[in-house]
Amino acid sequence: MKGKFTSIRRILSDFYLVLILIFLYAPILTMMVLSFNTSKSRTQWGGFTLNWYQLMLSDPDILAALSNTLLIAFISALAACILGTAAAIAINSMKPVSRTIVMGITNIPMLNADIVTGISLMLAFIAFGISLGFKTILIAHITFNIPYVILSVMPKLKQTDKSTYEAALDLGASPLYAFFKVVFPDILPGVLSGFLLAFTMSLDDFIITHFTRGAGINTLSTLIYSQVRRGIQPSMYALSTVIFVTVLVLLLITNYKPKETKGRESLSGSSSHLGQTIQKWAMGGAAVFILASVTLVTWKNYSASHTNELYVYNWGDYIDDEVVEMFEEETGIKVTYDMFETNEEMYPVIEAGAVTYDVVCPSDYMIQKMIENDMLAEVDFANVPNISQINPEYMEMSQAFDPENRYSVPYCWGTVGILYNTKRLEELSVEPPESWMDLWDPALQGEILMQDSVRDAFMVALKGLGYSMNTTDEGELQEAKELLIAQKPLVQAYVIDQVRDKMIGGEAAVGVIYSGEMLYIQEEVENLGLDYSLEYVVPKEGTNLWIDSWVIPKNAKNKENAEKWMDFLCRPDIALRNFEYITYSTPNQGAFDLLEPEIQENKAVFPDVDKLENSEVYRYLGDEEEGVYNALWKEVKSR
Amino acid sequence: MNQPLIDLQHISKSFDGTMVLDDLCLTVKENSFVTLLGPSGCGKTTTLRIIGGFESPDQGKVIFDGQDITRLPANKRPLNTVFQKYALFTHMTIAENIAFGLKIRNKPKAYIQDKIKYALKLVNLDGYENRSVDSLSGGQQQRIAIARAIVNEPRLLLLDEPLGALDLKLRQDMQYELIRLKNELGITFIYVTHDQEEALTMSDTIVVMNQGYIQQMGSPESIYNEPENAFVADFIGDSNIVPGTMIRDELVEIFGARFACVDKGFGTNRPVDVVIRPEDIDLVEPGQGTLSGVVTHLIFKGVHYEMEVTTPDGFEWLVHSTDLFPVGKKVDLRVDPFDIQIMNKPASEDEEAMGVNE
Repeated sequence: MKGKFTSIRRILSDFYLVLILIFLYAPILTMMVLSFNTSKSRTQWGGFTLNWYQLMLSDPDILAALSNTLLIAFISALAACILGTAAAIAINSMKPVSRTIVMGITNIPMLNADIVTGISLMLAFIAFGISLGFKTILIAHITFNIPYVILSVMPKLKQTDKSTYEAALDLGASPLYAFFKVVFPDILPGVLSGFLLAFTMSLDDFIITHFTRGAGINTLSTLIYSQVRRGIQPSMYALSTVIFVTVLVLLLITNYKPKETKGRESLSGSSSHLGQTIQKWAMGGAAVFILASVTLVTWKNYSASHTNELYVYNWGDYIDDEVVEMFEEETGIKVTYDMFETNEEMYPVIEAGAVTYDVVCPSDYMIQKMIENDMLAEVDFANVPNISQINPEYMEMSQAFDPENRYSVPYCWGTVGILYNTKRLEELSVEPPESWMDLWDPALQGEILMQDSVRDAFMVALKGLGYSMNTTDEGELQEAKELLIAQKPLVQAYVIDQVRDKMIGGEAAVGVIYSGEMLYIQEEVENLGLDYSLEYVVPKEGTNLWIDSWVIPKNAKNKENAEKWMDFLCRPDIALRNFEYITYSTPNQGAFDLLEPEIQENKAVFPDVDKLENSEVYRYLGDEEEGVYNALWKEVKSR
Repeated sequence: MNQPLIDLQHISKSFDGTMVLDDLCLTVKENSFVTLLGPSGCGKTTTLRIIGGFESPDQGKVIFDGQDITRLPANKRPLNTVFQKYALFTHMTIAENIAFGLKIRNKPKAYIQDKIKYALKLVNLDGYENRSVDSLSGGQQQRIAIARAIVNEPRLLLLDEPLGALDLKLRQDMQYELIRLKNELGITFIYVTHDQEEALTMSDTIVVMNQGYIQQMGSPESIYNEPENAFVADFIGDSNIVPGTMIRDELVEIFGARFACVDKGFGTNRPVDVVIRPEDIDLVEPGQGTLSGVVTHLIFKGVHYEMEVTTPDGFEWLVHSTDLFPVGKKVDLRVDPFDIQIMNKPASEDEEAMGVNE
C-alpha cells in the first residue's frame, strides 16, 4: 500500500516538474522550431530548412551587429574584470562596517531596473557632451558589469588566506609579483566566472544598450528589436536561437567550472601542469582576441572618420540594402543607417538631440507634431528635382500634415482595410464585406480580428458611422465607443501583427489589416497551396490613409546630403527597387509606370485613389485629445 | 660582547586607538632561541609582525644587526617567517613552493634543485618534490613551510605559533624537530606561542608578555622558579598565589601562620604576594606542619594526585603529591623556605600590567 502511494507521488511530482519545464521552455522551443521552418508563417509548417541560418550569415547588418555584440561583450567583460577585481581587493581589505556599506552600494546597480540605469547613463552622456556611439555602449556595459565581477570575486578573496600573500612577501616577492603569483591563482576561478557572467550579461542586455547606443551602431538585441515592427523575419528566429544556445553554453561553463577545479585538486602533481598549460592557452587566446578586437575597432573608427557622411533614421526593414550601397557608390557619401520601431520611439531621440540624424522617415501625424514643435528644417526642393516623379495627388494628401509641402517627401503609403477569407465567408453564407459596418454582422460571431490599437479601432467605428477619424466631438466619440462595445461579443481577438498569420492560417473569416503586406500574404497563400484565397477591400466609407515621408531634423549636420538622399530615393528606378523589396505602395509615378500591369492593377496594393476620397490621414490631435481617446478605449477594453 | 641581532627600541603600536604595544624594548642575541609567550592579545604576534615587516610601529626602531630596518618593506628584510596556518601556495607543487624565494633571487637552476633536496631531507620529507600541497598532512605541511623558509638561509627565522594547529603528539614531535633544526642550521629563532610547556621545552630565553608589556625575561628555569609577579607565576605552570605580610627579611606571614623563606629586602610588615608551586607543598599529619586544613577535592592525574586543601580562612590550596590523602582528611601544610617566592603587590591594574617589581 505504502509503496504504491509513494510511487504515485513520485509520478505526480515528475509530472509537475515536466509541466514546469514545458511552461518555461515551450516558447523558446517554438522559436527554435520556427527557425527551421521553410514557410515564413508562424502557424504553418512548410518543411525543414537551414535557409534562414544562411540568410542570417549573409546579412551584413546581422554580421555587423554580431561583431559589435561580441566586441562589446568581450571588452566590457575584460575591463569590468580588471576594475571589479581591483575593487573587490580594496573592499575586502576594508573594515567590516565600511565593507558592508560599500558592498551594498556596489550591489544597487544590479538591483536597479535596467531602464533606470539606461536612462541615467544616457542623460549623463548627454550632460557631459559625449556623443552616443560604440564607446558609450561600451562604457555603459562596463558600468553594469562591474558589480557582477565584484560579486563573484569577493567570496574567493574571503576564502583566500591573507598569510599566503604575506608569505610571498616574506620570501622576497614584490607586492605585485606576490599578487599575480600567489593571490591571483587562488581567486582565478572567481575572476573567470565573473568574466563569463559579465560576458553573458552584456550579450543579453537590450534596454541599457538601447538607451546608450548612437547612430548606426546595433547590437544583436537592438537589431532584432528594430526589425520587429515590419514583421520579424525568420532569420531573426535563427539569430535568437543562436544567441540562446550561446548564452546557455556560457552559463553551463560558468556553473560547471567550480566542480572541475575541485576535481583537479584531488589529483596530484602532474595535473597542475595541465592546469598551467590551459591557463597559458587561455591567456594566449585572449591576447589574440584583444589584438584582433582592437584592430577591428581602430579600423572601424578609421573607416567611420569620413567627412562626407549622412545619418539616416528609418523604420526597421524599410529599404533595400542595395539601394543604400548604390547611393554610397554614386555620391561617395558614407551612410550611417539606423532603425526605429515606432514613431513614439523615434520622437524623443530626435528631440533629445543626443544623436543628430540628417534624414528621418516618420509617419504623417508625427510629422505634423514635429512641425508644430519646430523640430524640422524646410527642404530645399531645388536640390530634389526628382520630386516631380511623385504623383501630385500624394503631395496633396500630404498637406493634411504638412500644409504647404515644405518639410516632407513622400516615401511609402497605404491603407487600412478588411482582409477576408472567401471560402470561410461562403461557408457562413456571408457576402464579401464592402462597409466597415459589415464587421457588426452577427453571422460573423467569433470570426473577426480587430486591430489592438486605439486610433485604428476608433477609425473603424468612426468611419463606419460616417464621421471623421480625427474627430474631437465628444458625442461622436461616445457613439463610436458604444459601437465598439456592441461589437465585442463578435470579435475573436484584438491583435496587431498576428492578423496576417492568423488569416493565412484560416483561423478567422475577416480581419482589419494594413495593406502593406498584401503582396506577401497573397504570395504565401499561393506558396502553401491553400484552398482558399484572401482578399482585401477598402470599405466604401473611406479609411485611414497613411503616408511615411522623409524629413530633415533642424539639427541635421549634413542637410545637403539629406536632400541628395531624398532626391535619390525619388528616382524612378530606385523607387521601383525599393517597392519590389518593401512591397508597400509607392507614391512614385515614375516607378509605378515601370511596374508590370498585373501589379499596377492589384487593387490591394494600389487602390483607386478616387475611391479613397473619403479617406483621411491621421492627424496629431494634441496630448489632451489623445488622452480622451485612450480613456474611451480603456472603457471598451474593460467591458 | 657582540652586538644583538635584533634590537627593538621603544616600540609602540596601537590599532584603532587600542594600545597593543607600549614602549617595548627587546634584544635578541645571534643564535639564540627566544620565545615570546603570553595569552592571546598580549602583543606577542604584533611584535613578531613588526620584526617581519608586516606592521610598522607607531614609534620606535627595529635594528637588525646594527642597521635600522624600521621602514624596510617585508620583502627586503633578511629574515623569513613560518606562519601559523603554514600559508603554502596550494596551486604549486612542493618543489615550487620551496623554490619560490630562490627563484626570486635568481639563483641558478642546479643550485635550486640541490637546495630543494637538501631542505626536504632536513625536514624528513625526501622525495615529496612533486606532491601537491593538499596531499600532505598538517605536520608535513608545516615542515614544508619551514623548509620553504630556511632554504633562503635567513639569519633570523620568525615562527608564529607554528604548531598551534597540530594535535598533541605531533606537536611534541615537532618541538624536538625544531630544536634539532636550530642546532643544525645555527639560525636565530624568534618563536611565538601561548603554550607555556612549548616555551619551556624549546627556548633559551622566554619573554613573558601581557597587555603589551614584557612581564619577565629570562631562562626557562628562572621564569618557572622565580616568577617576578603574580601574572608570570599564574601563567607559567600552576601556582598558589596568596596575600601575605613580610614580617621581616626571611619571614613571611600567611593567613596568620609564619613561614620561613629566603627572600630579603621587602622591608618590615609590608603586604606582599606569595607564590608557592603546588608540587612544593608537603602534606603531613596534623600538628607536623605550619598551616592546618582539610582535603576537599581529589583527582588522579597519572604521575601524581591533584588535591585541594581548604584552610580555615577559606583559601583552596592546590597541592600535587604522589601520596594519597582522601577527601575529608585533616592535614597540615609544610613548605621549604626556598620554595616560597615573595613578590611585591601591584598598587594598580596598570602597574600590574607593566609588571612593576621593585
